[in-house]
Amino acid sequence: MMRPRPLRPLLSLTAVLLLLALAVVPATGQAPKYGGVLVTSPLSATPSLSPHEESTVATTQQASPCFNNLLAYDPTKKVEGVDTLIPELAEKWSWQDNYRNLVFFLRKDVKFHDGKPFTSQDVKYTFDMVRGAPDAKAKLKVNPRKLWYDNVEHIEAPDPHTVVFRLKRPQPSLLLMLASGYSPVYPAHVPLADFKNKCIGTGPFKLKENRPGELIEYVKNPDYFIKGRPYLDGIKFVVIRDRSTQIAAVQSGQLDVVGSGWNRTNAENAKSGAPKLIVIETDSNVNDNVLINFKRPPFNDVRVRRAINLALDRKAYLVGPRQGAATYGGALLPRPAGVWGLPAAEVAKLPGMGDPVKQKAEAKKLLAEAGFGPSNPLKITVSTRALAIYVDTASWMVDQLQQVGVEATLEQIETGVWHPKMTRLEYQVALNLTGIGIDDPDAQLFENYRCGSQRNFSGYCSEEIDRLMVEQSQTLDPKKRLALVQDIDRKLQADAARPILGWGKQHYVHWPHVKGWAVHENSIYNVSRRQDVWLDK
Amino acid sequence: MRTYIAKRLLIAGITLLGMSLLLFVLMRMAPGNITDIIFESAGYVDEADRRKLEAELGIDRPLIVQYGRWLGDFVRGELGKSYRYDLPAWEVIKPRLPITLELAVLALGFSVLLGVPFGVISAVRRGHPIDYVLRVVSLAGLSMPSFWLAMIVILLLVRSIGWIPSMTYVSPFDDLRANLAQFLLPALAVGYRSSALIMRITRSTMLEVLREDYIRTAWAKGQRGTQVVWRHALKNASLPVVTLIGIEFAFLIGGLIVTETVFNLPGVARYLVDAIQFRDYPIVQNLAMLIAIVVVFANLTVDLLYTWLDPRIKYGA
Repeated sequence: MMRPRPLRPLLSLTAVLLLLALAVVPATGQAPKYGGVLVTSPLSATPSLSPHEESTVATTQQASPCFNNLLAYDPTKKVEGVDTLIPELAEKWSWQDNYRNLVFFLRKDVKFHDGKPFTSQDVKYTFDMVRGAPDAKAKLKVNPRKLWYDNVEHIEAPDPHTVVFRLKRPQPSLLLMLASGYSPVYPAHVPLADFKNKCIGTGPFKLKENRPGELIEYVKNPDYFIKGRPYLDGIKFVVIRDRSTQIAAVQSGQLDVVGSGWNRTNAENAKSGAPKLIVIETDSNVNDNVLINFKRPPFNDVRVRRAINLALDRKAYLVGPRQGAATYGGALLPRPAGVWGLPAAEVAKLPGMGDPVKQKAEAKKLLAEAGFGPSNPLKITVSTRALAIYVDTASWMVDQLQQVGVEATLEQIETGVWHPKMTRLEYQVALNLTGIGIDDPDAQLFENYRCGSQRNFSGYCSEEIDRLMVEQSQTLDPKKRLALVQDIDRKLQADAARPILGWGKQHYVHWPHVKGWAVHENSIYNVSRRQDVWLDK
Repeated sequence: MRTYIAKRLLIAGITLLGMSLLLFVLMRMAPGNITDIIFESAGYVDEADRRKLEAELGIDRPLIVQYGRWLGDFVRGELGKSYRYDLPAWEVIKPRLPITLELAVLALGFSVLLGVPFGVISAVRRGHPIDYVLRVVSLAGLSMPSFWLAMIVILLLVRSIGWIPSMTYVSPFDDLRANLAQFLLPALAVGYRSSALIMRITRSTMLEVLREDYIRTAWAKGQRGTQVVWRHALKNASLPVVTLIGIEFAFLIGGLIVTETVFNLPGVARYLVDAIQFRDYPIVQNLAMLIAIVVVFANLTVDLLYTWLDPRIKYGA
């Protein structure tokens, strides 16, 4: 016979309360405060409030507070990955039929900002539209991430709170794509065109005012399905184009937090004028890469490509244009910030990482073998986008190439026509910046290296790599998949497919009263919900 | 006079027509159009979708048809739709116009209020230390680009008193004091360069006029100094100054682009640059035409002021 334990329920209750308190109270030990409006400045004005139609972090930054995804990346974890996924509109999910079906069980207590209930039809509407299904109820004018959902064969909504994604082949990465800031759920009852300047979502903040190109202001959504969130009464995004004005604005206290697109010098300048500011420096999963046009001779000669790659001394890149704030790597961001990159020992042996004198001599030798020397120098135009962050690195590249006898000149291309020129391969060699939406091989490799992909700006094409890409995509064992991905990366580096100079770091500065401002190290796109931010004022 | 005004209006019309043609051609000569930017920036080019959008925006038609249609719409006051924001162009331009106008008027006010008196003092006190000081001040104004001055002002303010003007626009109807605090410094930064030019012209013309016989006669008659200088000399010296003010107004609009950016004022000048980058033809063309109209009519007003300033001037038939 068991002895009676009268204190047991009380102890259990205490334990539950303690656990709850620990979950709510941040690591600082301070209880979050409600109220206040956070003022920040985004990277730039957003072209619309429709993340599915845009390809800039400016949109995910400014639209994410309005929306929710089926699932999201835990903002409190620094590194995004399959282990850090948390439920949002879906309470739980389940892979079925050997990873051919992905089933989501949705929350039943969610309403859109206009009071209409959220159901599985909204999920089906959104992702049928994004994958360009023939029977989709809406069609996006521009659909930059259609490729992400290429493997989705069918979406079913068997009841208002269940959604099934049926896949052509297993694809573990689909979950990560659905958690991206680029993958919110839209309301099926709101015309798509409305999202150009308005926003109806389920998110923690409701749109109060949108002055395109100038200001976006949100207010707290009192009916938000996560009880007790958001802490803030509102968020204000003030578009400030000039970097020095941004610095002055944060120093004067007009901004609480800022830093999107900043380099280390910007952050240091801000802090020098206002020492109480807190600087956050982390990886960003945005890389500086060299585009070498495979469709134009002599760049289809691997010796020329390797010579260019070797000539670019990565240590000089780190101290020069990146001012000491970058991480070396291959086609994917290396650990610890990333999940899939090459091991550090291998990265240290990549072209451009060795003794600069020896590597430059080797580059000259390769150029000579390809028929270029002092009497017949290789003449190239290094194109880049006419933005300081691009031009600084491209100017450095020109200098590095001149050191191996290449007659390189710089061409600055107006930002509006930069991508069109790259898409059409209207350049010889270019310096580009690529932000990776999610730290995942499917998102990075298919988009930037697959034969015929529209963002494969170098025109690189290898049947073997394409085959390996598909193979890794459906490999369920994470260790086997990692090995495959790293094998692909090695081959890409050997081909000088799109030499990576390095992975830049991001810099944010905020006043001490800003709490819970999360930053992820392996993506800048998926951490802008801001429901956990609060002001200690 | 009426014939003169009619003639000037006709010339203004021809100027604006030429301006419209130039604007249209220049925009079409710039590489890429809005559909390139929308589609290819997203790394996605579906030719059928692109053609559909071009047809929707009307940029698939022959250039002459596009030009004629735009001009006709403009004359009727229909400014079309912003390609970028999918909003009526007037809705995008309207809230920005008063901001630029307020800044321009304040800057022009500063330049006249500083330039004319300082020019007069400098001329009257020729060779005096104050003349040298004012000439150095004016030379500094001519040498410093307004965008540089604007940045220095911002930096000095934040470093010295930890304050800068508001980064979000405050309407004068909501809070006049905050509005003036927001606009006075940028207006001063822009107006300083113009004031330097006005001061130099005022000084040189005043020096010429002060040597005239009628001024000597006025002195000889024992008239008060202030009356001689401000009433007789300045009025006769002001023709080139007024002409310059008209010209400076046009330059001032150009100077506002950077100042609006540095002080984060959401005016039309800054917005025009954004619209050019996005090949937002309706915005660029209509906005530039509106600015051209303001400049043309500002110069016409200046010309008409001549008769008031100097009654000897008669406009030929």
